[in-house]
Amino acid sequence: MGTLYNTAVTENRAEIDLDELVLKFRPIVSFRVRKALGGATPDWEDVADEIITQVIEKIRKREFRGDSSIGTFIYTITSRRIIDHIREKTKVLRHAPEPAPFPDPSETLESQERAARIAEAVKGLKPKFREVLHLYYYKELPREEVAKRLGIPPRRVSERVNYALKLIKKDLKR
Amino acid sequence: MKTCRYEGWIDGYLLGKLGEKETEAFERHYFECAPCFAKLAERNEIVGVLKRDRSVFVVEERPAIETKQAAWYDRTFAFFTPRQWAFAGAAAALLVAVLAITPLFRNAPPEFVLNGEETVRGSSLTLISPVIDIGSVPASFEWRALGADVEYQVSIFNGRLLWKTTTRDSRLTLPDDVKALMTAGQKYSWQVKAFSLQGTLIAVSSRVQFTINH
Repeated sequence: MGTLYNTAVTENRAEIDLDELVLKFRPIVSFRVRKALGGATPDWEDVADEIITQVIEKIRKREFRGDSSIGTFIYTITSRRIIDHIREKTKVLRHAPEPAPFPDPSETLESQERAARIAEAVKGLKPKFREVLHLYYYKELPREEVAKRLGIPPRRVSERVNYALKLIKKDLKR
Repeated sequence: MKTCRYEGWIDGYLLGKLGEKETEAFERHYFECAPCFAKLAERNEIVGVLKRDRSVFVVEERPAIETKQAAWYDRTFAFFTPRQWAFAGAAAALLVAVLAITPLFRNAPPEFVLNGEETVRGSSLTLISPVIDIGSVPASFEWRALGADVEYQVSIFNGRLLWKTTTRDSRLTLPDDVKALMTAGQKYSWQVKAFSLQGTLIAVSSRVQFTINH
């Protein structure tokens, strides 16, 4: 695999493999950005790219001193950039109309297929598992409320949810 | 396998149920903990489908029944080998043939004959006259006809059978010699039974009492 960023050396002479770093942290940064901005926000990918670029630059400029972990360092940059982006957007939105809903760019064919498989796996569950998933995830009821509605102890709710998730994951691995 | 203490926060984070500090702590954590992030990403995928698509919770019953029926069909046919099924089919066909032929060799069933006290349900026989006390010996007895091809048996009692006769009419004129047997102040009763021409009892009237007054 060809390297894009090569390596960088921190102030305390520790060498960082930037390719490996990007490979590991891009999904995490992307997840955090999507969670903060919403998957329907069209520019979440640009924001994630900007963050990764910023991280590389800072490491190359030896701004990462190794006082904290690299994860915390990237987390801090990510959080700041998200806040900045939201501030910028808020200013723009004061003068501009709400943009039209944009299709989720992450909805690739692969992720759509996986979503369809998850849906099939859920449909194949026993009613008692579907019911608990419906109340806990879809209706977002607290565990105690779900327990009350189903007439089972709260501990059983967690057990059923966990078992249902395990069955779905097992189905996906087939 | 050691479980990370933040694992239990995944649902809370995805469903937005964590407080501000907890959210920040969890976000900071998954930037450092690869296993937690892997679990978070996987759970997010599942929860995303559960949140987006309500139809996953509704399963049409028909395919399930069909599947059940198909499973029953498969199980049944897997029970025997094809050769055993062929043998069972031949045995069943033989049994049906035997059951169909057997009645032809049976003795004819006995004819249904009613005794004098039994009646074929469906008809009733109503007596018209005499049904109340009368001043003199009655000249005739009358009842409601049941139709053509019916023979009536009329019986007159004075404690025991006094006289009995049959007729095709629904009216009977009492012969003089019977009249002579009947006296004033005596209690009598009469009854009519209807028979088909083949002798089957069709209907029986109630036994009606009358008294010949002085």
